[in-house]
Amino acid sequence: MKYLRTFLAMFKGRKLATIGLIWFCIVAVAAIAAPLLAPFDPLEIDPVARLSEPGTPYLFGTDHFGRDSFSRAIYGARMAVIIGLGSVIVALVTGGLIGMISAYFTRLGHVLMRGVDVLMAFPALLLALVLMTLLERSVTNTIIVIGIVYATTTARILFGMTLKLKGEVFVDAAICSGAGHGSILFRHILPNLISPLLVQASFIFAFAQLQAAALDFLGLGLPPEVPSWGNMLSEERIYVTRAPWLLIFPGALIILSVFSMNLVGDAMRDSIDPRFKDDIAGV
Amino acid sequence: MLVYTIKRLLALIPTLLAASILVFLFIHLIPGDPASILLGDTATPEDVAALTREMGLDQPIWKQYLLWLSNVLQGDLGTSVFFREPVLSVIGDGAETSILLATMTMFWIVLFGIPIGILSATKHGTWVDQMTSGGAMLFASVPTFWLGLYLILIFSVGLGWFPSSGFPSVSDDGGLANLRYLILPSLTLAAPNAALIIRLVRASMLDVSREDHVRTARAKGLHPAKVAIKHVFRNALIAVAAAFGFTFAALVSEAVVTETVFSLPGIGRLVVQSILRRDYPVIQGVILVIVVLYMIINLLVDLAYARLDPRVSLK
Amino acid sequence: MALLDVTDLEIAVAAGGKLLPVVRGVSFAIEENETLGIVGESGCGKSLTSLAIMGLLEGSQVRITGGSIQFDGRELTTLSAEDRRAIMGDQMAMIFQEPMTSLNPVYRIGDQIVETLRQHRDMTKGQARDRAIELLDLVRIPEPTRRVDSFPHQMSGGQRQRVMIAMALACDPKLLIADEPTTALDVTVQKEVLDLMADLQTRTGTAIVLISHDLGVIAETCDKVAVMYRGKIAEAATTRELFSNMSHPYTRGLLNSIPVVDHDVEWLEAIPGRVPTIDEVLPGCAFHPRCPLAEDRCNAEDPAPRDVANGHAVRCHFAGGAA
Repeated sequence: MKYLRTFLAMFKGRKLATIGLIWFCIVAVAAIAAPLLAPFDPLEIDPVARLSEPGTPYLFGTDHFGRDSFSRAIYGARMAVIIGLGSVIVALVTGGLIGMISAYFTRLGHVLMRGVDVLMAFPALLLALVLMTLLERSVTNTIIVIGIVYATTTARILFGMTLKLKGEVFVDAAICSGAGHGSILFRHILPNLISPLLVQASFIFAFAQLQAAALDFLGLGLPPEVPSWGNMLSEERIYVTRAPWLLIFPGALIILSVFSMNLVGDAMRDSIDPRFKDDIAGV
Repeated sequence: MLVYTIKRLLALIPTLLAASILVFLFIHLIPGDPASILLGDTATPEDVAALTREMGLDQPIWKQYLLWLSNVLQGDLGTSVFFREPVLSVIGDGAETSILLATMTMFWIVLFGIPIGILSATKHGTWVDQMTSGGAMLFASVPTFWLGLYLILIFSVGLGWFPSSGFPSVSDDGGLANLRYLILPSLTLAAPNAALIIRLVRASMLDVSREDHVRTARAKGLHPAKVAIKHVFRNALIAVAAAFGFTFAALVSEAVVTETVFSLPGIGRLVVQSILRRDYPVIQGVILVIVVLYMIINLLVDLAYARLDPRVSLK
Repeated sequence: MALLDVTDLEIAVAAGGKLLPVVRGVSFAIEENETLGIVGESGCGKSLTSLAIMGLLEGSQVRITGGSIQFDGRELTTLSAEDRRAIMGDQMAMIFQEPMTSLNPVYRIGDQIVETLRQHRDMTKGQARDRAIELLDLVRIPEPTRRVDSFPHQMSGGQRQRVMIAMALACDPKLLIADEPTTALDVTVQKEVLDLMADLQTRTGTAIVLISHDLGVIAETCDKVAVMYRGKIAEAATTRELFSNMSHPYTRGLLNSIPVVDHDVEWLEAIPGRVPTIDEVLPGCAFHPRCPLAEDRCNAEDPAPRDVANGHAVRCHFAGGAA
């Protein structure tokens, strides 16, 4: 409850960021309750109704297979949340561990961070593309690939922050009271990094949406039958002149979601420890 | 300056070597026999055997790497399975499009990003600032391909102002007028990156404007515009220059998408098509070239940084 | 007519839609060739007063809400921004507390002096550069012809403050405002910088407003002193009169909290309590919660300034003996 209140306090007086947070909640609800909210089966093909205009019963119209776009969009929200949260978890856990451990154990850290530097020599989407050529198109692999791409930046950021905290008096105090390495890292240092990690998480969530959509568009992301906003755009783009709504709705959903998470991240960044503010590069 | 450049160049070598090992291993990470992968599906067993010998695939892996590296250093990046041509010349064919696209994109980024960023910072807290910095964040949230599709829809299909796809070389018929093919793609590519530069210029200028020396400049009786440009923006430029390396990386990534949307014969689309065609030697070659380019760009950024900030010691 | 005549100056900070007064009814005057010291704890309004005179409040949350600032016969509070800028850096110049950060790190110090010169004087680049070298020599920077091309980070704090002084003196200002010019410097360097300012004043006749929290610095350099507490002048007099006849308990408290080098003091007296924050509304005398003499009356009634001697005004019910 206390954490929730501090979290909500960050949005006080920030109308846009509050709207962003509300939008995120709407997407989350749609993701969880997709089967209840979707009026049709997102995969059901109806050749008679193909390329129907938005209206009743097809709120967002239908695609060239006659599938209901609204239902697909709702299941797309589910995909967006899965990809977003999955990438955030992969990036923060692997990147976070590498960054913290590198800062804490300096000698090992030197080697690890050089490795991170090498991976960072590959531009983000290119790295994702290369990794995807080695893997099958699947939800899990998309998450892993996007997660790895952002794990590098996360490692860099956490490395810097842990280094700053390592010199603080409370760490010395913990060492003096006989705390072990694990206890110092996870019980003393990590709690101080939670809010900057949350900020980083919201930016990764936003970037992951764009990266996943780009991979889908290039035909190298999620399998084509998966109803995701990126796949909806990718599959229907040749019908854009005949059925422009097919691109407007999923496009608007992606933009709104990315914009919302950027706003949320921006608002949270302004309320965190000023020492860490410059470390996190958002939008 | 020269000493500094050489030192920075030397410092690049370990990263470059490590990256080259990764790129080399790429072929070996793909399931299957590298020689058959490199030759594609149509290869005869004799071809495979010949390449196996030529690449030293029967040798230990480190020997293979050294052989590959020495080939690469002599400009031999292998042969494209699809084109049956040296990889380097395949890449060379896409270079004109990609370089022109990148140049035009950078032009838009600087043209829009910097003045709007300055405007946003000097009007800090007003509705102008809220509109520009909010608008910039919105633009940074738009998927590149979606923006590209709609620009085609509006300006090519609808208004007919610009061609919707392809790019004939400037040395073909039409000459420099062919650059109009690149206007929509470069605007598409510039939009999210200019948005980031706007946000960055604004944030760095706000940081600098709180520094003491800006008060000194105002106490000299300088016009506020002169203070904003000569003192605040000039110092903020240090942080902005540092970010241009990232801009290049973002450009490369998004060029892959943009070139695909506009069917441009550039290196970005070459990557995607090579992945779909399983033309692994080309993928490997392009990645290597891009990584080297990226490092060179980062070096140039560092040198620019040192020029902009006299506190950075060049010794 | 005095060179600078500040009358009933009121300054307020805009916060949360309200205006909180921070400087209230401050008046003082300064003649050519004179040095006025303004002393007080941090937060008493002395720096804001100096920024208001200089014209540097524009664009901040702080604004002048009343009173007048007459400089050389012109009313500054109603002057247009453009006319203000014509005075800033030319007839009126300012040096700041932080020499380490007050110079722009990306420009050579010579160019920064040249910038002031060319803003206000019709000079070629060459002439301005020659004048910059002359100024650096004047503030005793060794090898000025070489140092003119140094960057700020290549100089020590004391040298940078000399450069700030050179820059301030570039256009022979009639008034120099120095806001804690020596606070950030080593003690030995402090003395050199103060001596330099005094020396330059005898040569040029510039009037100086010296802001400091240090009565010792004030005693050494100033002709007149104004002691500020919570946005008001608690006591004002000539330096000689003030130090021989301290009449406000706050001034005495300030003096008692300075360590005296030749005495073997075991106990330094601090003024008890703390400076009230600006949003606290206090009835009566602003100093009464910390005052050793405070009585009921001090709680209820804000003392008006009263003269205890010729030109020596004190805001205290007990000043001049009679309560």
